[in-house]
Amino acid sequence: DENGVEVKKFKRFESYKRDNQFPPKVKEMGIVIDQKNATIVLPVMGRPVPFHINTIKNASKSDEGEWSYLRINFLSPGQGVGRKDEQPFEDASAHFVRSLTFKSTDGDRYADIANQISNLKRDAVKKEQEKKDMED
Amino acid sequence: MTAIESFDNIYLDLSKESGKSRFAENGFGWKPAGGGEAYTLDSGEIGGAQWSRAARGYEVKILLRSSGVVQLDGFHQEDYERLNKIFKNWYSVNLENKEHSLRGWNWGKAEFSKAELTFNVQNRPAFEIPYAEISNTNLAGRNEIAVEFAGSDSGKSNGHGATPGKGKKALAGKDMLCEVRFYIPGTTTRKEAEGGEA
Repeated sequence: DENGVEVKKFKRFESYKRDNQFPPKVKEMGIVIDQKNATIVLPVMGRPVPFHINTIKNASKSDEGEWSYLRINFLSPGQGVGRKDEQPFEDASAHFVRSLTFKSTDGDRYADIANQISNLKRDAVKKEQEKKDMED
Repeated sequence: MTAIESFDNIYLDLSKESGKSRFAENGFGWKPAGGGEAYTLDSGEIGGAQWSRAARGYEVKILLRSSGVVQLDGFHQEDYERLNKIFKNWYSVNLENKEHSLRGWNWGKAEFSKAELTFNVQNRPAFEIPYAEISNTNLAGRNEIAVEFAGSDSGKSNGHGATPGKGKKALAGKDMLCEVRFYIPGTTTRKEAEGGEA
């Protein structure tokens, strides 16, 4: 509102409703980017775990000898980013997954995944901004 | 004749190769399809069982009395009834249907059970980390906990033997999990927050 005191309501988002919505590629137990559902599916101990793009802060690739590392950072409290009223989560007193790091010898793949995540994030932020502009 | 129920194309503890899994009253066995060492489990060690969606298909997770877990992936949805009967009649445990959270949220509650750390989103597990897979944990910052996984220095495939793939599940896929970091708020007291070191 005009005083700028309105607390933005958290908008709920959801990756999937049913487990048959996972992309078939999750069988390979690797990282899968699901553009259609704006979701990154990460393999954790044999289980495909969806993370909506709205939870992701960024992804970065680094190299160490023959290994490449992909670190996916999630939004969580206490990171000093964004305004308080725009925290993309419902409950700041909850526990948060803050990052997941994977490694592989295929560095090109990680560069590509990091790139795809950045693009997906950029598109999601853009969409959100367009929505806000419409509301104003 | 002993009754045996068998299932093909089952992956044991995230093995790269599938195998035949056989259930009988006195226990469970798994043998890789291409031959090799079999894994067996005495029925007396079975303390519980859970059914949920995994990567290859549906998973039966056997909770051992000794606090470990055995993961069997590759079942079909329609195998549930048959498996439920097997566990109920032969091992006197329920095959508990554990539906996982698919919301895609990164906030919830980290909870510690006998054999695993479970991250729950809206009271449904999003993922679990068996303690046996954890190689190290440390306080990475105020309210931030880093959990590291075993064998971060070698990319060897799963072994099958008496302890199949223990401490190696993080390395099973083409993307090997090295570390998970959690943010746990409110774990420092006011006193610590003011004068303490992170």
